[in-house]
Amino acid sequence: MRILIVEDDREAASYIRKGLRESGHVADHAGDGEEGLEMARAAEYDVLVVDRMMPRMDGLSMVEALRADDDRTPVLILSALGEVDDRVEGLKAGGDDYLVKPYAFAELLARVEALARRRDPDTVRTKLVVGDLEMDLLARTVVREGEEILLQPREFRLLEFLMKHSGQVVTRTMLLEKVWDYHFDPQTNVIDVHISRLRSKIDKPFPRSLLHTVRGAGYRLQA
Amino acid sequence: MQARGAAFLRTTAFRQTLLSAALFALASFVTLGFVYAASAGMVLRRADAAINEEVAELDASFQAGGIRTVNRYILERTVGGGADYLYLLVHPSGRSLSGNLTYLPDVQPDDEGRVQFTYRRPAAGESGNEVDDGKDDRTARGRIIDLPSGYRLYVGLDVDEETRLVSRMLNTILAASALALALGVAAGIFVSRRFVRRLDRINTVARRVKAGDLQPRAPRNFTGDELDELSENFNNMLDRVEALMHRMRHTGDSIAHDLRTPLTRMRNRLDEALREDGDRASREQALERAVADTDELLGIFNAILSLSRLEAGESRASIQRLDPADIASDLAELYEPVCEDDGLSFNSEIQSGLTLLGDRGLLSQALANILDNAVKYTPSGGAVTLRLRETGEGMIEFSVTDTGPGIPDTDRERVTQRFVRLDNSRTKPGSGLGLSLVQAIVDVHNGRFELGEGPGVVADGHGAGLRASLCFPKAPSDKA
Repeated sequence: MRILIVEDDREAASYIRKGLRESGHVADHAGDGEEGLEMARAAEYDVLVVDRMMPRMDGLSMVEALRADDDRTPVLILSALGEVDDRVEGLKAGGDDYLVKPYAFAELLARVEALARRRDPDTVRTKLVVGDLEMDLLARTVVREGEEILLQPREFRLLEFLMKHSGQVVTRTMLLEKVWDYHFDPQTNVIDVHISRLRSKIDKPFPRSLLHTVRGAGYRLQA
Repeated sequence: MQARGAAFLRTTAFRQTLLSAALFALASFVTLGFVYAASAGMVLRRADAAINEEVAELDASFQAGGIRTVNRYILERTVGGGADYLYLLVHPSGRSLSGNLTYLPDVQPDDEGRVQFTYRRPAAGESGNEVDDGKDDRTARGRIIDLPSGYRLYVGLDVDEETRLVSRMLNTILAASALALALGVAAGIFVSRRFVRRLDRINTVARRVKAGDLQPRAPRNFTGDELDELSENFNNMLDRVEALMHRMRHTGDSIAHDLRTPLTRMRNRLDEALREDGDRASREQALERAVADTDELLGIFNAILSLSRLEAGESRASIQRLDPADIASDLAELYEPVCEDDGLSFNSEIQSGLTLLGDRGLLSQALANILDNAVKYTPSGGAVTLRLRETGEGMIEFSVTDTGPGIPDTDRERVTQRFVRLDNSRTKPGSGLGLSLVQAIVDVHNGRFELGEGPGVVADGHGAGLRASLCFPKAPSDKA
């Protein structure tokens, strides 16, 4: 993947860049919003990682300018402002996801990869398939090896999110945000508990497990 | 002193009172002026009416017997003095024939033939030796009538008393108006001095606070007037500032204290990892733990940040009408498996159909913090209950009860303060900010956060338990 990092803090930028390269991506860096806008217009990127507060042109203005050009490249906004309103503002400006500083690199990587996936032509899918696990989004049913698995509504949404991002790392925070719509971190391992419940339903009865724990990052559903 | 006086004259209070004093004086001047015009006019009208009657009388004499009768009429009334009227009959040659006036006034009559002039009253009797002391200059008013064949007749009345009265009245009115103005200004100065002095006291307090002394408070007289209200608000503001300053200082100390432990631990681990010889696995493990420590530190930082924002009132909470049952049931669903995993039985009793004005995210977070605590501190085999109901007093109450050790009565106030943790050994994870955050969120929603004894059975070894209650006012009816 080709990723553009627009961040005025050089050290933070080089940290992200190094991490992305080690994960097999190509990463460029722009030092402020204006440079970022130029670079984003000049080349095709899969994802833009944009810091919100920068000199010359701030991140939100840059994203707005891009969107005005009808550039639909997915954007992950980085910000120290984490209140609900700040997020709403960021998403309104055209950002696709919002990550509050400080963050773990694993979190950033997971979100960047999840965003890149979004670029796939968003045809309305009615069926998700990962290995022998199948989800029918219309009938709200889940079947593995021909056996129907009964899930609670929230478990269904959790599995749906994991299947939509199969093969990618999904962090606990992402799950809290996207499946539960909570933007805070409960101290106890609530997500782990829910994952293990889901696991006991979709994996335990079967010889091969699909839902993997990625240490220090989160989970991955993979055939 | 000079400068102070000048500054005083510039004060709003003084200007306002000056203005109202001037308006008051003007109003009394206009009122008295109206009284003056009415009474002065009446006096003169009465004199004129009397003169007209006498003129009619003389006219009748003239009609009856010509100029002689008129002359006799006048002589009859003036000889010996004491006549009510002033008369003068003048021959066409200009010679005075009869009357108690020596000469015709040299004043042009107005449209109705009336004249007003000053004459010298002849001394008592007809002798005519006049005392020239000027004091006998008197005001008269009358009519000059041209009779046929060149005779001229003056008939008038002495209106000296009346005009004197009227002019004295005018003087009194002017004096009264001046007095009203002076009194108004004096009262203005008095009132505004008082006002300014009271304001000065408040300003003095403000200046002292600005200089760094948070102790002084504006004086109050408890009458509830504007200045008293200003003082009260001002003092409340100072109380809040002082509390915030105090909390800030306390927080600073606590942050230093609380971050030192994990930072030191992390430093030691990193140090160890550096010194570790060869063993890659243990080095990696040390680094992983260091990362976990960092995450914990970041968590504390984030909690401090949101707490500060909430407490400073800067958080732009998005308050909406919402059904608290949604919040409660979402959290029940989130925590039920967690409780079961920890060997706790979980129950929820959720009343539906209530409406609350609140921020879903914040309320969920507050409730999650309390549930976290319940799960963390209740020993396995215990029970956790989440309840949502309308209380007897019409509040909406979220409550979480557990059968853990509970919190002793004496500590219940304390635990909502920042960084206060009751297990001094700090064996359980946590920042000591959870309940502070709950308190701040409840405050933002004008609610009440209370801790009480739970339903636990002390004898079973678990403890009294804890009942945490979050009460919020019901949203006002939509139809209203």
